[in-house]
Amino acid sequence: MFYPQEMTGVQLIVPSRDVMAVTKVLVDQGIFHQRDGSFLSTEKELGSTGNWPEKANAYAGLERRIYNVMRQLSLEEEQLPEAKVSSALELDEARQAVDQVEQEVKQASDKLAAEQKRLEQLENSLKQLEPLAGIELPMGTLRNPHFLYSILGVIPNPNIDRLQTSLERIPFVFLRLRQDEKESVVWLAGMKRNADVLDRAARSAYLNPLVLPEVYQGTPSEIIAFLMIDIAHTQEHINELKATIDRLSKDRKDQLQSLLWTLRTSRMLADAVARFGQLQYTFLIVGWVPTARLEEFNTVLKQVSKYVIIETFPFKRGRTDLNVPVSLKNPRIMQPFEILVNTYARPRYEEIDPTFLLAITFPLLFGAMFGDVGQGLTLALFGALLASRKVRLLHGLASLGGLIIACGLSATLFGFLYGSLFGVETILPALWMRPMNNILLILGIAIGAGVFLLSVGFILGIINSWVAKDWGKFFFDPHGLSGLVLYWSLLGLAAGLFLVKLPFPPIIFGGIAVISGIIVMFSETLNRLVKGYKPLIVGGTGTFAIQTFFELFESLLSYLSNSLSYVRVGAFAVAHVGLSAVVFILAALVSSPAGPIYWVVVAAGNLFIIGFEGLIVGIQTMRLEYYEFFTKFFSGGGMRYEPLAVRPKMDK
Amino acid sequence: MSSGVSGYAAINTRVRAKYASLLTPQDIAAMSEASDYPTLIDHLRHSRYSDYLAMVQEADLSPRRAVFQIKTLMADTYVSVIQASPAHTRDLLDRFYRRFEVDNLKAVLRGILSKAPWDQVRYVLFPFGDQTILPAEAMLESGSVMSAIELLNGTPYYDTLSHAMERYTAEQSLFPLEVALDLFYWRALWNEVGHLPNQDREQALRIIGSLLDMNNLMWAIRYRVYHHLSEEELINYTLPFGYRVRDDDVCSLAGGADIAQLLNRIYPNLHDVDALLHEPRQGLPLLEIQLQHRVADQCRGAFSGYPFTVGLPLAFLVLNEYEIQDLTVLIEAKSSRIPSERFHPYLLNQAEASLLA
Repeated sequence: MFYPQEMTGVQLIVPSRDVMAVTKVLVDQGIFHQRDGSFLSTEKELGSTGNWPEKANAYAGLERRIYNVMRQLSLEEEQLPEAKVSSALELDEARQAVDQVEQEVKQASDKLAAEQKRLEQLENSLKQLEPLAGIELPMGTLRNPHFLYSILGVIPNPNIDRLQTSLERIPFVFLRLRQDEKESVVWLAGMKRNADVLDRAARSAYLNPLVLPEVYQGTPSEIIAFLMIDIAHTQEHINELKATIDRLSKDRKDQLQSLLWTLRTSRMLADAVARFGQLQYTFLIVGWVPTARLEEFNTVLKQVSKYVIIETFPFKRGRTDLNVPVSLKNPRIMQPFEILVNTYARPRYEEIDPTFLLAITFPLLFGAMFGDVGQGLTLALFGALLASRKVRLLHGLASLGGLIIACGLSATLFGFLYGSLFGVETILPALWMRPMNNILLILGIAIGAGVFLLSVGFILGIINSWVAKDWGKFFFDPHGLSGLVLYWSLLGLAAGLFLVKLPFPPIIFGGIAVISGIIVMFSETLNRLVKGYKPLIVGGTGTFAIQTFFELFESLLSYLSNSLSYVRVGAFAVAHVGLSAVVFILAALVSSPAGPIYWVVVAAGNLFIIGFEGLIVGIQTMRLEYYEFFTKFFSGGGMRYEPLAVRPKMDK
Repeated sequence: MSSGVSGYAAINTRVRAKYASLLTPQDIAAMSEASDYPTLIDHLRHSRYSDYLAMVQEADLSPRRAVFQIKTLMADTYVSVIQASPAHTRDLLDRFYRRFEVDNLKAVLRGILSKAPWDQVRYVLFPFGDQTILPAEAMLESGSVMSAIELLNGTPYYDTLSHAMERYTAEQSLFPLEVALDLFYWRALWNEVGHLPNQDREQALRIIGSLLDMNNLMWAIRYRVYHHLSEEELINYTLPFGYRVRDDDVCSLAGGADIAQLLNRIYPNLHDVDALLHEPRQGLPLLEIQLQHRVADQCRGAFSGYPFTVGLPLAFLVLNEYEIQDLTVLIEAKSSRIPSERFHPYLLNQAEASLLA
């Protein structure tokens, strides 16, 4: 729980004839994190059989085509069943299967698209003719008058002004018969001798003339009637085609789903093999397996290939030269906190996983700032609602449910300690104290708690350096041993001078602070000395002097600011009481306490506090964790553990 | 004004730092002296493009791929500039960035007609990454212009293209689609400029208007000289706004006015316009380079004077684009072993250096 799962490096030497069987088992087991071993292949071998990347691409192309077919049939991809991985489908066989089903669906969907296009054209013609419905002249006469040349059609609105500018040198009439948001139905007319100019201008302004098939004869209103009949027929036809596609969708659903899964498996297998190292008669497979499952891994592999050679390399924490995949192993209840840790950074393999600490300190800090029994319980109930996934609209926030429950319960606990129920301080007795009446005390306690947490952070940082055998960092870093001694001696000095009488002169702390401060000041140089780097001083002496001075100054400043930062925990506890009091004052301004409006305002105020202040306190808590606490010991940057599997099993 | 200063503080610093990292005319001159394509790439590996070139193995770094990689830096620059700019300017800057998407769209349509495979087309496209709304690969795989345009349903390009499809169907040429796209894009960009507050609008008009001036003039000249289009077509295929070029200028150009006279009146410092128009095949690209010089001057001007406007990021983006244009010329010239006297006039930075000399 305090460290990521222990991993073992694995190298498999597999005879070529067993490679597919072994790969299948690796995918089936879902515990093998593959490393790219293709660089181990010699060019000669790659030249003869290195076509696995192309195969993987081909499978991916077929997978995409099946997706498209499913989309055309409005089929959603379903969850992959918990069955063993089947063998890879031969590429030709897969291609044939995809071609066949694609062709069948394409025929129906092409017909549907054509009919929809026809419907669109008919509706377009109708739209253009409707403004002319009142004219009792045959359409032919309207379009080809004796003395005029005219064009009836649709033009994009932005082109209209330009069209008129382009015709300024000839006489013309331009009528906008109907205007929509983007286009207008227009009638352009001029003298017959200018027909060429009118045509060119209309075409270049993208005025699309009305095109009516020969069958549509008569006055505009007669043609409109014909068009409406045709529209109804086309609509019927479209409905029939949709029904056919629905039927096809039901009939082919299982086949398509199964084909998709088989293709995906084939693609994954081909992808995996493409990253194996290939020698003349064998394949080299390299990767990582959780040590706890190594035995199971070996047993299953030996069952599928008698000749497989398995070499394992147990990996001791502390070596930082290899990027080992990181799989966190926290109890389910801590998942929400693990997400918070991963949002900051994924722990490195040799680093302490701070999830457990976060699971304790996050709700505590939140509860201390938001202590109220009623509001805390409401928040916990809201968290439970999120986690239950009962409200579809809140599905996206479900992963936060557990975190909010924990924060809500902690706020409830502190509510009892502060004696606060929905902002009312007269109902419950305060089991500990009322923040508003003990402002200085609660601020002091908050700083004390901060000092404790920061000290824990320092110690964890020192442990991490110890495990990583980074002695320079362990001894000299501002967050290492000398940093901790400096921090504590400064605290001791301040306590001796201002708070308590010590049995020895406080100047002793001053001396320790000076020595540790000098070490911190030269931490970079000492670190280089321990690691054997040269030169010890980078840059000129002047620059070095300024830099070391400011580094010490920055460290001292951060110790102070980080410690004082926790004062906000006490400040928010007080502000919370103050905000609740404001709600009651506002309610009293609106109505007397006997009236229902008073309680409506109180309820609305409480909801506001839960939503608004809850959010702010949440952000402040996160800041204290991420900025003040984590920076002392946690650097992150670990690689995600992504085992080979058809169903992804990686850590979130 | 104070909100302008505070809003632009971050982007101003960022853009000035990036501006300082642009290649100098001396850098371009040194690169143009490179003996061959590998030497040029070696030069680039020591420039700000090194990380982007390092993403591709040396053996795979074909000229096309090299151009693609250096454009990737420009794409990242656009994204970071847009993100750091004040919220009220982001729509304009994003629209400005979409110029390359319009070019990609045209390239995909041409790819469909020439039946080019995706692997050939992908590196011709501007590397938008996941910022693009074009389903370029699916469009290419659809195999026909009509189906490709149907795939654009829901994007801002769909209405324009589906309306212009009628002409494509009748004429079987991409010309009407491309012109419609250009007109749609520049109108939309101009509208975005109109939405800016006063001081921003003034600076944006200066830079975007200068680009539009150049486009309008080059469109009008090319349509007249190469395509022999009529007056009314020419007017409909150009736009009635810009910075220096008035609609009357475009209309008189369409009506047959003397091109050289008109250009010399608008830009008194242009060189040898008559000679350039006499041999339009070679001359018009050089004329365009001269007009680009005017735009580049406008952009450099934005770096002096009151800096807290959208003019600064716009100017930097244009100058960055011109640098890439120069590098593209160099890469193509060096990989095709074209002698320096033939490609030098097409270099913006280099040409300016020689002009100054």
